[in-house]
Amino acid sequence: MRRSSLLFLTLLVLWVLISQANHELAPLRISVFAGGLFVVFAALRMDRGEGLTAVFAAGLLHDAVSPVPFGTHALLFTAAHAFVYHVRHRVHREETLVGVLAALLSNLGIFLVLSFLVGRDLPVGVDPWPRLFADLLASQLALAAITPWFLVLQRRVLGWAGQTPFRTEHRA
Amino acid sequence: MPHRRLHPGRPFLVLGLVLGAWLVVPTIVKRFLRISFFELQAPVSLSASYVRDLQDYWSLRTRSTNELIAAGRDLVRLNASYEATLQQSESLRQQVTRLEALLRLPAVGGYRSEVARVARRDFNGWWQRLTVRKGRNYGITVGSPVIFSGGIVGKVAEVNATLSVIDLISSPGVRIAATLDGDTRPLSYQGGENPAFGPAVGIAEYVPTDASASPTSPKRLVTSGLGGVFPPGLTIGEIVRLETSTDGLFKTGEVRLDPRLTELNEVTILVPLSPN
Repeated sequence: MRRSSLLFLTLLVLWVLISQANHELAPLRISVFAGGLFVVFAALRMDRGEGLTAVFAAGLLHDAVSPVPFGTHALLFTAAHAFVYHVRHRVHREETLVGVLAALLSNLGIFLVLSFLVGRDLPVGVDPWPRLFADLLASQLALAAITPWFLVLQRRVLGWAGQTPFRTEHRA
Repeated sequence: MPHRRLHPGRPFLVLGLVLGAWLVVPTIVKRFLRISFFELQAPVSLSASYVRDLQDYWSLRTRSTNELIAAGRDLVRLNASYEATLQQSESLRQQVTRLEALLRLPAVGGYRSEVARVARRDFNGWWQRLTVRKGRNYGITVGSPVIFSGGIVGKVAEVNATLSVIDLISSPGVRIAATLDGDTRPLSYQGGENPAFGPAVGIAEYVPTDASASPTSPKRLVTSGLGGVFPPGLTIGEIVRLETSTDGLFKTGEVRLDPRLTELNEVTILVPLSPN
């Protein structure tokens, strides 16, 4: 529970940073979505239950401030967590590069699914895809730049609180 | 101690369980969670907004005295022109009251203006929203129109304890009853595409076929007052292109919105005086 709370705290910090970045980017009409980064540390380096709790809570935080059915982000984040968790024993999950790749792929998946879900409600004649692709490109570039820093931050925060990411080792 | 190997499908089983559990969670619990999570982030958004104000304040402190004197002089001129407008407005208001009494017309519902600072902008390809630093604590109500010096900003979509969320007119889901400036025939406006690095555009539908507009001679689009949400005569944008729709009965056009919409720091919420 303590590890989940600490991890959620780091995700809350990330949410604040991303929302502030989007506030400043608004005049340029570009935005950053970092859903994959909310999932990757929990899925690669934490126990399933604790990681999932923090990721689900982060998803609910996104849902609370978005005009989508409540639980949409939470379930998408949970799905991304399941996928990354499923493959984590096949990769060098402590490697930063693996973390970056997992974040980028998770982000791509969440972004596209969310785009299709929200796009269903858009009026006829509105084509949101050029803007969405520009946002996706900006998001992936931003994610590639900040993921190494954020993974270290999450590890350090758990370390400062005297916690290790893993309670038990599940590697096969 | 031997390592335990997980069944490969177990993460997806957990995903299925979470999905199933979420589907059966009662709506009231979801609503409670939504409010709780919104209020959890509210102090963070508010603090960030106040920090930005402080930054602005300190950056203004670096201005020279001459600049401040010039700004003060401009402000005095503006205030003088607003004083004159206020007097005209008061005289018109009295005239309206007299005519209403004379013709026994029902009184037109008024609005209370509530100026609010923008705490957060959330503009992406899916939605365009502003969060402002006033909520139930200032009596803001859902559906209230929001304006700025350039016209319509949008309408209040959610009201929370200390923050309100506004759907911008550039948001694809927003629809407003409109009319061309100087015309009384109603038409429909809806938010359109929001290209990256470019100005937002809206769509005007059911435009009369005798209307024309081009980038060199745009037509001002204003609220019609129909629907009862927005007062009539507020600027929505400018129609810069009109084409005959496929059925040939109307025209459809592109509406250029005010580029300042993306840089707003302060808006005015028009809170209806009567609940209906």
